[in-house]
Amino acid sequence: MSDTAPRNPVGAPRMLADALLRSMTGTTALLRVTGTNTETSQSEVGLMATTFYEAVISPAVMRKLRPTWQENGESKWELILSASGVDQQVNTLDLESAQALFAMTLTVTVAGQDYLIESVASNEAFGKVYLYRLLLREAHQQAM
Amino acid sequence: MQNAKDSFYIALRTRLAAINPERTILLRGTVRPGILVEDAEAPFSQLPNDVFVLRWSGLGVDLNLVSTMVAKQCEIIYQTCGSQSYGGLDRGRSLSKMDEELASILQPFYTAKLDYTATPPTAMLTKVFWDEPGFTPVVTQRDRLSRSATVMVYSYQEQGE
Repeated sequence: MSDTAPRNPVGAPRMLADALLRSMTGTTALLRVTGTNTETSQSEVGLMATTFYEAVISPAVMRKLRPTWQENGESKWELILSASGVDQQVNTLDLESAQALFAMTLTVTVAGQDYLIESVASNEAFGKVYLYRLLLREAHQQAM
Repeated sequence: MQNAKDSFYIALRTRLAAINPERTILLRGTVRPGILVEDAEAPFSQLPNDVFVLRWSGLGVDLNLVSTMVAKQCEIIYQTCGSQSYGGLDRGRSLSKMDEELASILQPFYTAKLDYTATPPTAMLTKVFWDEPGFTPVVTQRDRLSRSATVMVYSYQEQGE
């Protein structure tokens, strides 16, 4: 008997990735994204606080990388994000791509700790991204 | 000194937009002239190519004057990999173009000092001025050429600064 359900087979890797991420820890990552209304001199010289949007992405998994990172002694982490969760925020913010979302992200918060994005990579199957891998570095504490 | 730093950056930005409007950067969702202050933006894992990055470093104060003079060192860093249409083979030319642009936007070596905390910015009594830039040798990192220029920026402290 064949499966006649109207599911897109290209979406299978995404569903599988989401299921795996959820079953591992299924945590939530908070991306602090800058607003686009920064076309003033004041915002360019650090005077005006720009508007921020907090994009919640789940499921996500954090893993600590091997301690080879030396600069200032901060640990490096890899954040694995669900591509469907990222796409949802890309649509919400009306952005062109996930890269645009990551380019506008100031910090990533996971379990109350802030991180800075060092680099972004993605995994694809059937020409479609099913998860994003963000290389993160712990951010220093900012003044309140 | 913050007013002098702000005025210096805005002067360079305005001059760059006038001499090469095509040198732009998409930053925080906005297209702006290709110059930025490093400490007023999100930390970069790698500095962007084909833009001027202002990094403030050294500080000196001369108290033996009628008005206190403050000097701050500004390092202007820029790098390029050339253009895609030339497969990066024009990276030397791109860097030369940036050298020329930087030398142009630094002249004249002064600008009005404005207080950017006010809206609109208010003109102050003194000017901000700087000396000639000192260019470092080119650093080649695989396909990337980078250079920096150092400028000492001076200003007199005014009432309320």
